[in-house]
Amino acid sequence: MSTVKINGKEVTVKDGTLILDAARDAGFEIPTFCYQADLMGVGSCRMCLVEIEGQKKLQPSCITPVLHGMSIHTETPTVMSARASMLEFLLANHALDCPVCDKGGECELQDMVYKYGPHKGRHAEPKFKFQEKDYVLSPVIIKNSNRCVQCMKCVRVCGEVVGANVLGALGRGDHQEETSFLRSFLDCDQDGNCIEVCPVGCFMRLPYRYKTRPWDLKGKDTVCPYCATGCRMVIEERDGIVIRAKAQLGVGLNSETLCARGRFGFDFINSPERLTKPLVKRFGTLEPASWEEALGVIKDNFIAAGKNIGGIASARLTDEELYLFQKLFRSMLGSPNIDSSARWAPEAVEGFIKATGMDEGGASAFDCMESDTVLITGTHLSDENPVTDYIVRRISAGRAMNLVIASPRAMKLDSSASQIVRHNAAAEGHLLDAVTLSVYGGNVDKLRDVPGINRIKDARQDDLAGKAGCSADDIKAIARKLTGEGSVGLFAGTEFLRYPGSIPGLALLKNALKALGKKVTIIPVLDRANQRGAWEMGVHPGFGPGYSPVKERGMGCADMLEAASSGELQALYVVQSDIVAMHPDENFVRGALSGLKFLVVQDCFMSETARLANVVLPASSFAEKDGILTNQEGRAQIIRKLLPPPVKAKRDIDIIRAVGETFDRSFGPKNPVLVLDEIRKEVGMYGEVSLAFNNKRNVDNKLDLKEALVKPAGLAEGLNASGLETKLEPKTDEHPFLLATGNHLFHSGRLSRKSPTLIGLLKNAIVEISAEDASALGLMNGDKVRIKGRYYEAYATLHTRSGSKGGVAFIAENYDDVPVNRFFRRGEGVPRVSITKA
Amino acid sequence: MFSDKAKEEIQQVLKKYPNRRSGVMDVLRIAQRERGGHLVKEDMEEIARILGMQTVEVNASAAFYTMYNVEKPVGKYHIQVCRNISCLLLGAENLIKHMERELNIRVGETTPDKKFTLSTVECLGSCGTAPMMQINDDYYENLTAEKIDKILKDLK
Ligand code: SF4
Ligand code: SF4
Ligand code: SF4
Ligand code: FES
Ligand code: FES
Repeated sequence: MSTVKINGKEVTVKDGTLILDAARDAGFEIPTFCYQADLMGVGSCRMCLVEIEGQKKLQPSCITPVLHGMSIHTETPTVMSARASMLEFLLANHALDCPVCDKGGECELQDMVYKYGPHKGRHAEPKFKFQEKDYVLSPVIIKNSNRCVQCMKCVRVCGEVVGANVLGALGRGDHQEETSFLRSFLDCDQDGNCIEVCPVGCFMRLPYRYKTRPWDLKGKDTVCPYCATGCRMVIEERDGIVIRAKAQLGVGLNSETLCARGRFGFDFINSPERLTKPLVKRFGTLEPASWEEALGVIKDNFIAAGKNIGGIASARLTDEELYLFQKLFRSMLGSPNIDSSARWAPEAVEGFIKATGMDEGGASAFDCMESDTVLITGTHLSDENPVTDYIVRRISAGRAMNLVIASPRAMKLDSSASQIVRHNAAAEGHLLDAVTLSVYGGNVDKLRDVPGINRIKDARQDDLAGKAGCSADDIKAIARKLTGEGSVGLFAGTEFLRYPGSIPGLALLKNALKALGKKVTIIPVLDRANQRGAWEMGVHPGFGPGYSPVKERGMGCADMLEAASSGELQALYVVQSDIVAMHPDENFVRGALSGLKFLVVQDCFMSETARLANVVLPASSFAEKDGILTNQEGRAQIIRKLLPPPVKAKRDIDIIRAVGETFDRSFGPKNPVLVLDEIRKEVGMYGEVSLAFNNKRNVDNKLDLKEALVKPAGLAEGLNASGLETKLEPKTDEHPFLLATGNHLFHSGRLSRKSPTLIGLLKNAIVEISAEDASALGLMNGDKVRIKGRYYEAYATLHTRSGSKGGVAFIAENYDDVPVNRFFRRGEGVPRVSITKA
Repeated sequence: MFSDKAKEEIQQVLKKYPNRRSGVMDVLRIAQRERGGHLVKEDMEEIARILGMQTVEVNASAAFYTMYNVEKPVGKYHIQVCRNISCLLLGAENLIKHMERELNIRVGETTPDKKFTLSTVECLGSCGTAPMMQINDDYYENLTAEKIDKILKDLK
């Protein structure tokens, strides 16, 4: 610890603390441009100069650590005049076009000059201009370099945090321009983090251009509705239209960063396609109806169906809504048939929960990254959960650790890894088994009794490695890292749910490492904002809220569809889930749903599933409701209502309650706050979840709000993880590629398809294969290709990725022009396809 | 595409560096010479590929130094006159004007026959022999108007 005096005030801080941080913590304000907590210090803007007794020259406080005994002054006349001079220089060439600048009103340069500035400049020379007109850098970015203060934050965030590294500083001195290669159009991640960190109006949002002044916006704290990273953001509206989403420095685990989906994908809220009134099917067509009529029809049909009813609720709803939904089914309709996913098998979910220890309570991704060795498996983190990728990149660059990435597809994060392993698609289980076997080899005595070890202990290493498609050396190297000094962190993604046969491998590795006395932290990596919340609220056929055992096991989505086709299930209530688009085998779903007597779909849009419904209820987006979402780490975070639902649409919680009330007037609780009270009472894990601690601003660098993590459940013995297997179609010469799926960087499920900006970034389907496979087939990046499976064929644009494992074709689940689930056939394995030039 | 000879030379110079990226300056120099005095988009793209860098990083390295002419073709002889303090005190300003007159172009321009490009640069580290200038790879020092006339005449 070092004790220093700041403006006469004595403070004791950790050794190596920056003067800037020490001063800010002590309550003194120091202006900065180039400093940002999560970026490496460059000390280039000189706004933060301070005086240190005994040193003649002023020192930049943002890169100078305290030394014991220092006496620092932050507001002497010399410091003040240095600040004024720096600002005078910055204004020497500055465009000063505040009246037409999007940043006006929230510009750091404006604020600083107002506060510290000389209000007159002495530079009489003509100003240097980079360009006459702003130029468009990408579908979401427009640039004006004449306003630049050369802080380099844009370049640094793009390289150090996003890892795209597509911005650079061209030229030098006052002619230095932060921009793209020869100012060309950017083919990048389009996350706009360069916009967010820019203190002035250089990098600007193109969709937001000239739409408003910041002081005319009204905003609310919320959480991004797309993936389960759970980025905190603020959405802002003007005249009832949401026009901006922004992240805030020091708030949420993401601090100032978001990905393209979070920053630009909110505009589905304003879509003219939003459903605004209830619809009831009359003589084969859906026609507008009143709420009373729609609810009446639902009641009659639900009564007729009796217990032969099921429900599927989206993993994007709030915890309160999901809790009430399961309550409606379990205690009001008397049916155990509920699910929150159209994609994952219930046993896979239970196995995954157990393997990742979700029932043991929340675990922070930051803690996981504190581990000495971190293994990322079963997720294409860079595309699926971009901000988790940023966190891993940033932290791994700043400390000595092993980072192992195992994935068939190459990814941006590979450049941060100390070991990259390319295994066969759908072979995560074989890879982990091989690793465990290697660990076992050296620790037979200690691992003899680990549950499940018998499954592999007599296997041959060559066999397992061969099935995984990697070399024995790779496997050994991973095993060595995992069993070396220190703790282990695992990020385990949705591939485990997609290929359930891999789950026992994950569970076994965890158990083996624990048996060796290792501290193991696992973060499940999920792709729907509240998937974890949906499970923890008990929207699952195999367990109740807080993973509690259920009296009667119900049917999951697939079984319900099966039962619908056989006529056994009569009614289905679907909330914001597009089963037709998401469940593997679209034809089967359509057939099954047509076998139902009654289908009610509650959604924001006329989804493929809604088109088949007897009653359609207009629901709400995340901007129109209050509630809690639980991210993949188990952080319960608040979203706040910014707008009323459009026209006659209603909040989902009110609709679910209204359906319950048609049976019993007392069904409730009656509002989200009371539902949360009941959750706190009934669900131990959520006992301490509070509305208070979520929206507070954290001190820079302390983004890990641990209070928000849910507690251990402690009663999950009922989870049934048996019968996990992965079925693959056998490989043939005719169909050489295994079809992998997941989310594209710019999309999430089908919801993002309603965002005009995200559609602007990527509209039509692309299929990705490795560059090597492509050249073997004589195909080039950008070619139009035909993808042919046994049951479906489609056309898409080819995207090649170098360094990926061969034999895998990836088509995201997001495209309406190529619904990937049409390649699947119920009961058969993961399909294989061929790719040929169209 | 670089010539085979240039490619070979690049592989040679890269041996000097523990990390390929560090060779960017040398490789840019070779590329510029190959192109006849300046660099174009394709050169930087190819360098990025060879060194495993981002194109914008190569661009930024090149744009930092006046010695690289990014997308700015120069004449056969690129005259870079120092106008930093020592040279300035010893009359660089007049010499520049003199050359503008002699070549009938302004600073930053190239003669119509594509022979000469005149530019000004910061200190070339030869203050002891100021005023001075560099033409292509050679220094011309202790300049006077007469000396310059002779130099230009020899090159014409
Ligand atoms: S949008 Fe992201 S990837 Fe693209 S330039 Fe900006 S920071 Fe870099
Ligand atoms: S463009 Fe913005 S972020 Fe980038 S250097 Fe200039 S002022 Fe800083
Ligand atoms: S999609 Fe995921 S990573 Fe991107 S902003 Fe939203 S929560 Fe964050
Ligand atoms: S903030 Fe310290 S030098 Fe820029
Ligand atoms: S000032 Fe001209 S060479 Fe140094």
